[in-house]
Amino acid sequence: MNNYKLIIMTDDKQVVLERILQVTRYRGFLIDGITAKVNTGNNIATIELFVSSDRSIALLIDQINKLVDIKSVKVDNSAAKRLKAKECSA
Amino acid sequence: MTDSKLLTGSGLLFNVLEQHGVNHVFGYPGGAIMPIYDALCESDIQHFLCRHEQGAVFSAVGYARASGNVGVCMATSGPGATNLITGLADAWADSIPVVAITGQVPTAAMGSDAFQEIDIFGLSLACTKHSFQVTNIEELEKVLHQAFEIALEGRQGPVLVDIPKDIQMASVKQTFDTTEHLKNKVKLPLADISKALNLLTHAKQPILYVGGGVGMANAIDEVREFAQKTGMPSVSTLKGLGAINPDNENYLGMLGMHGTKAANLAVHDCDLLIAVGARFDDRVTGKLDQFAPNAKVIHFDIDTAEINKRREADAPILGDLKENLPLLALALNIEDWQSKVQQMKNDFAWRYDHPGDNIFAPAVLKEVSDLMPKNTCVTTDVGQHQMWSAQHMSIDDPCNFLTSGSMGTMGFGLPAAIGAQISRPHDTVIAVSGDGSIMMNVQELATIKRYQIPVKIILIDNAKLGMVRQWQDLFFEGRLSETDLSDNPDFCMLAQSFNIKAKQIRKKSEVTDAINDMLDHNGPYLLQVKIDAKDNVWPLVPPNSANNEMMESA
Repeated sequence: MNNYKLIIMTDDKQVVLERILQVTRYRGFLIDGITAKVNTGNNIATIELFVSSDRSIALLIDQINKLVDIKSVKVDNSAAKRLKAKECSA
Repeated sequence: MTDSKLLTGSGLLFNVLEQHGVNHVFGYPGGAIMPIYDALCESDIQHFLCRHEQGAVFSAVGYARASGNVGVCMATSGPGATNLITGLADAWADSIPVVAITGQVPTAAMGSDAFQEIDIFGLSLACTKHSFQVTNIEELEKVLHQAFEIALEGRQGPVLVDIPKDIQMASVKQTFDTTEHLKNKVKLPLADISKALNLLTHAKQPILYVGGGVGMANAIDEVREFAQKTGMPSVSTLKGLGAINPDNENYLGMLGMHGTKAANLAVHDCDLLIAVGARFDDRVTGKLDQFAPNAKVIHFDIDTAEINKRREADAPILGDLKENLPLLALALNIEDWQSKVQQMKNDFAWRYDHPGDNIFAPAVLKEVSDLMPKNTCVTTDVGQHQMWSAQHMSIDDPCNFLTSGSMGTMGFGLPAAIGAQISRPHDTVIAVSGDGSIMMNVQELATIKRYQIPVKIILIDNAKLGMVRQWQDLFFEGRLSETDLSDNPDFCMLAQSFNIKAKQIRKKSEVTDAINDMLDHNGPYLLQVKIDAKDNVWPLVPPNSANNEMMESA
């Protein structure tokens, strides 16, 4: 199982969070944590999504990117590494 | 901005539909969509009353697939909306542009478990390309334009717009502003053309693997020119049938679970696979790690998410097929390979010498295909008759073969044929169905009766759920479980009760005349073709097997 942190920028639209969670589950990724904040100035939400899976993270990035309201999806590799280290030491 | 008078939300809906060139919609009224049905009376758009919301959405799908235009359907809240779900899932899985309008309980009642209230917006997330719920009348016009834009943009798909009743009745001015586009992403082009050219020029045994994306990209001319110029042997998915000219000497037909032996063996042996608008579906690949095991892959697609999803591409080419495919259309020196595949095509050609007097469905479907007028649109349901149609009918354009490919939805064929016939009133439309499938949306015979839609129905009747029965015989030790349909209704009497002319045939000697009578008849017609319940679809790649391990008999 690999751990990843995704940073998702999205328009602050109805059910965008539900859409992301639905796609994440359906495509075979477990959700380990999530934070979400909206910048009320530009109505852009930033979502940090911690996921784990045996599948390639590229598969999930492509599927989330296809959602209409999503502006960008990036993997924060350093965070994923830290998460993994923490998991090993626990 | 054009000066405009006050409209209701419902009036605005029809104005926007007309702006998008919509002439026909399919639907079923109910409480929460009554203001829209009231406004329909003042619209020039023709509405077709189907007899179940699933019929409406499949007619919209058939309309879209046969014409290339967006199909539109409408339903009320609650059960009306949930009855659309299967059709939306089908359209999502086969990438069909459909806009579904649902009525919703008034905004003040939403979330209170009101009568006929269901969270269709939530339900739609997993089976639409996108969906909207309009809770502010000022948003309605923009949302409706976006629905059409999203349905047609890139990889096409269904969009649902849920409109609460008070929004349908609210006053609004039309702005006629269509300039605001939803897309805000910059897609990076991914096109490894030079690598693809290198792979192509070094290939000795290349295969062109054509999918449903070709027709949807309007790239039929380009793919045919590519096949012609390169002389490359080609195979097709179920949804790609018709993209390659069926008379092309290097075309081997459908590949996959019920593909031709030549297609599956050639793909297994190829050293370069050029996937064009195809997505390595499990029914195509069989055991994935043994699919085209020695091939490099060039993958053309419009959808980034399909690249490397099931098979790593050595050279991915993302974008518009019409522009990208001609970049690789070179003459190749592959005579040995061409001779080899042509020999296989010849050696493994279909045979129709079926013993006895009983009717052999593949021979009937081949004969229908030979006798039907040019540009006939064939729809199918799901099961044995579907695979026999795909194998034995000669399809000259993907918009002339409408079948539920990915979702495999029984009940697709009849309403899809209704939608196809309405979109193309001057072409013959034939629905090939089975005695199991037809019962799944049999109520649509009433739609045929009401509008005198001249659809021809060929009912391949073995009084069984034939495909499941076949699998029970082959893989479950012959223990038949819930696949006997010997108590079916009298289908001819059933059709006649809807003023549909009907005939039953049982013997080979009756086939030719019966097909001609059906095709010559001006109105709707049902031809019931009784076949042997033991007939199987061959060849068959068993589950978890490689495509070169086909079964050809029990």
